Amino acid sequence: MVDGRRANELRKIKCKPSVLSQADGSAYIEQGNTKCLAAVYGPRETRQKAQLIHNKANINVEISLAPFSMPQERKKRSKSDRRLLEIASAVKQTFEPIIMTSLFARSQIDIYLQILQFDGGTIQICINAATLALIDAGIPMQEYVCACSAGCHENHTLLDLNNAEEMADTPELTVALLPMSGKLTLLQMDSRLHVDKLEPVMNLAALGCKEIYQTLDETVREYVKDLFQKSSPY
Amino acid sequence: MVKNSLAFEAETFRKIQPQEYLRRFIQGNIRPDGRSLSQFRPTTVNQSCITTTNGSSMVRIGNTTVVCGIKAEVATPKFNSPLEGYLVPNIDLSPICSPKFKPGPPGELAQVLSENLNNLLKSASVLDLTSLCIKEGIAVWVLYIDLVCVNYDGNIYDASVIGMITALTNVKLPEATFEESSGLVKATEELSVTLKLQRIPYSVTVALFDGQHLLVDPTEVEESITSEQITIVFDEVGQLCSIWKIGGLPSSPEHLKQCMNIARERYKQISMIVKSSI
Repeated sequence: MVDGRRANELRKIKCKPSVLSQADGSAYIEQGNTKCLAAVYGPRETRQKAQLIHNKANINVEISLAPFSMPQERKKRSKSDRRLLEIASAVKQTFEPIIMTSLFARSQIDIYLQILQFDGGTIQICINAATLALIDAGIPMQEYVCACSAGCHENHTLLDLNNAEEMADTPELTVALLPMSGKLTLLQMDSRLHVDKLEPVMNLAALGCKEIYQTLDETVREYVKDLFQKSSPY
Repeated sequence: MVKNSLAFEAETFRKIQPQEYLRRFIQGNIRPDGRSLSQFRPTTVNQSCITTTNGSSMVRIGNTTVVCGIKAEVATPKFNSPLEGYLVPNIDLSPICSPKFKPGPPGELAQVLSENLNNLLKSASVLDLTSLCIKEGIAVWVLYIDLVCVNYDGNIYDASVIGMITALTNVKLPEATFEESSGLVKATEELSVTLKLQRIPYSVTVALFDGQHLLVDPTEVEESITSEQITIVFDEVGQLCSIWKIGGLPSSPEHLKQCMNIARERYKQISMIVKSSI
């Protein structure tokens, strides 16, 4: 591919939990050149009475794109930009059944995502960052949620598309998976793809998700081991 | 367990009597996070960390973290200054950095900070704006300086100033020429032009507690219980760029003198930290 990767190779992932002191949980993820910071506040009191749900927690997701994050011109995308709202809504709906919201009735869990540098793969990096931040915040979830994109170009299936590949009219499919059970929580695609190609592309994306899960899980375990060593009295 | 005496746990005491809590520490010449009254939090600077920008930096003072990115665009100059480009600083304080910020349009603090940064750039003449001119009266460079606070733990102004200045020092622009025939500005692929800053100002913020104790580099907790803050900005030749004192009780000239001495010392520290981050 353009950046020297093989067709089924993921971009380099760097992730780190607990990077912000003010948030209850936070995470920083880099997938290739896309950088995203996630902060989770909650469960806490709902800001607006109208959003209060009597038997479970309300999840609120807000995504903001830093004005300097886009590779071309500076774009001051307001938070109510439709595209961002759509992605935020997709992330919210992905996490709603996974987070055990019934444990925190009448409260709110806020997930804030800040994209510092953009090189393709917004939804997937937002979901991965949110997963890590929620784990760091100690909010009970059924499972990890890992997302990955895949596409198809001239009969080759490609994994983890960057911005150049996304812009080049490649059909792009984003998949979010629960890696342990293998269940699919999110599937998004908005371009033309031949029905025969759907299965191989989906399978490749699922494999990508599982690989991302390995990385995230390793990071979490390393972090907890480290914390444990630091907090032990000896 | 019922407590018979009026002795509280430290955490409870901190929540119901935050000022008294701080007072007890200051009597022992120390602050709740273990620093002395004139000690700064560890400061780190990372340069050129965001590749989609023309210049960028990330600054951490203790837990306060600010990311600054500069993007350059071409625009028509203002009518009464046809040879000057412009710098547009803007800081974004969103709910991600602290629970005290609500979602929505920029609040008072963000607007005040943005305006202060703008004033600093103008009054200190940090950059000669004529160096941003491409073609007189027709095309100039506009540098959008966007600061995003990702973690708010007090003293955001100092972090923003360091972020903004270091990002400006590593800005790389293409060479731009105005083509008369087509009326377009053409730029090279290569980014070879760097900016020459005329002055390099850094700021120091000090909070005044109880009208007498100077708390250097206040944390968010300290900021919220003190009503006075003094910010002093010095440049690289030791000249004073700006002072302002925000609200509260009047403070004596003695305090201002002390603050200026602290600011001079700190300037050297910041310069070293920035130099070692390149």
